Amino acid sequence: MPEAIRFALAIAAKDIRAELRSKTALLSALVFAALVLVVFNFARDPTVLAASDLAPSVLWVTFALAAIVALNRAFNIERENAALDGLLLAPVSREALFVGKMLANLAFVGTVELVTLPLFTLFFNVNLGRALPGILGVTALATIGFVAVGTIFSAMAVRTRFAELMLPVLLLPFMVPPLIGAVQVTSRLLAARPLSEMWGWVRLLALYDIVFVTLCVLTFSAVVDE
Amino acid sequence: MNASNAALEPARRLVRRGLTLSLLGLVGLAGVYVLALGFTPIEARQGLAQKIFYLHVPAAWSALLAFSLVGLASILYLWLRDPRLDRFAAASANAGVAFSAVMLTTGPIWAKPIWGTWWTWDARLTLTLFLFLLFVGYLALRAAVHDPSERARFSAVVGILGMLLVPFIHLSVYLFRTLHPQPIVLKPSAPSLPPEMLRTLLISFTVFTVLYLGFVMTRYGLMLAEELQEEARDAA
Amino acid sequence: MLPEPPRNGEYLVAAYVVATLILVGYWMRLWQKARRVFAAD
Repeated sequence: MPEAIRFALAIAAKDIRAELRSKTALLSALVFAALVLVVFNFARDPTVLAASDLAPSVLWVTFALAAIVALNRAFNIERENAALDGLLLAPVSREALFVGKMLANLAFVGTVELVTLPLFTLFFNVNLGRALPGILGVTALATIGFVAVGTIFSAMAVRTRFAELMLPVLLLPFMVPPLIGAVQVTSRLLAARPLSEMWGWVRLLALYDIVFVTLCVLTFSAVVDE
Repeated sequence: MNASNAALEPARRLVRRGLTLSLLGLVGLAGVYVLALGFTPIEARQGLAQKIFYLHVPAAWSALLAFSLVGLASILYLWLRDPRLDRFAAASANAGVAFSAVMLTTGPIWAKPIWGTWWTWDARLTLTLFLFLLFVGYLALRAAVHDPSERARFSAVVGILGMLLVPFIHLSVYLFRTLHPQPIVLKPSAPSLPPEMLRTLLISFTVFTVLYLGFVMTRYGLMLAEELQEEARDAA
Repeated sequence: MLPEPPRNGEYLVAAYVVATLILVGYWMRLWQKARRVFAAD
C-alpha cells in the first residue's frame, strides 16, 4: 500500500510541477473566475436582490465553471505531452495513477478556489468571519466530489474529438448534487445558522464523495487500459 | 466487397422483428388513446388534462427501465467484456432518449394546468430532466469515440456512474423539499385509482413496454448490421 | 351537484400530439435507417 501512495503522490507532484512551470491552466481559470464574479455583480440589481441572497450561488457557480476550465486545460497539457501513454506502458497501479491525477487536479482547482474566495468577499461585500473554517470545509468536500468525476471524464474526453465540449456535457449533471449541497451549506454558514440545519447536506456531500471517489478509482483502469 | 446477405441475416431478422413489434406497440398506443379518451372517466378535480397521466407515467417507466438496463449492461460489460452487452446498452440508451423526451414534454404540459406552472423542481420532473441529460451525454460520448473497444469501455463507465447519480439527485431534491416547504400542490396521481383508470394505466404500461422492447431490438439489429458491414469493408 | 371539472382539454391534445409525434417519429427514423442499411447490399 505505501508503494501505491508514494506513486500517487509522485504523479501528483509531477503534474503540479508541470503546471507550475507553464501556469496556463491556473491563469486561465483564475481570470475566468474573476470575470464571472464581475459579470454577476453587474448583472444583478442591488435594489432588488441583496448581495447576501445571491452570494452563495454566485460563489459556487464561479467555482464550478472555473473547475471545468482548470480540468480541461490540465488534461490538454497532458495530451500535448502524451506523457500518460508512456506511463501506462509500465505495470503501474491504475488506481494509484488515478489518485495521483485527482490530487493534482484538486491542487489546481483548490488553488483557483482559494484565490477566488477573497475576490468574492471583496466584490460582494461578504463578511466571512466565523464562517471561514466552515466555508473551507464545505469547499473541500464539494470539490473532491466533482474533481473525482471530472478527472475520470477528462481522461475520456481528451480522447474524443470535441474534448472541450465533451467534458462539460458529461460532467455537469454530476456536479449538481455537490453544488446544491455546497450552496445550501454555504448560505447557512453565512447566515450563521446552527449546524443542525446543514447536517443533512454535509452528509449528502460526504456520501457523494465516498461513493464517487471509490467508483472512479475502480473504473479508471477501464478507461486507460484495453 | 459488401457483407454477404447470409452474414447479415441475423441482423436483418432482428430488425424486422423489432420494427414489427414496435409497430404493434404503436397500434396498441392508438388503442390506449381510444381507451383513455373514450372509455375512462374524467377526473373531477383535474379535468381532461389528467388523462396525460396515461402517457406520462408509462413513458417514465420505460425511460427508467431503459436507464437501469444501460447501467446493468454497463456493469456486466466491464466484467465480461462481451460486445453484445455494449451493443445492448447503446440500443437501450437510444430508446431511452425517446421515452425521456416524451416524459420531458408531457410532464410540463401536464404540470401547467394542474399545478399552474410549467416547471417545478420536484423529484419527478427533476429526475426526468437528469435522465434525459444523462442519456444525451452517453450518446454524445459514443458518437465522439471511434475505436469500438474504447467506445464500449467509456460508455460503460459513464453508464455506471450515471446509474449511481440518480439516487443522489433524488436525495438532493428530497432534502431540498423537506427543508424548504413547498406550497401544497395537488398530487396528480390519486392514491387509489378507480378500476377503469387503473385498467387503462396498466394497458398503457404494457404498450410502452412492448414499444421499448421493439425499439431496442430494432436498434440492436441495426447496430449489428452496421458493424458487420464495416467489418466486411475493412476486410476488403 | 359536483363542480364542473376545469376546462383544460387543449393541454390534453397538446400532450397527446407531442407524444405521438415523438414515438411515431422515432419509429419512422428506425424504419428509414433499416431501409438504408439493408439496401446497401
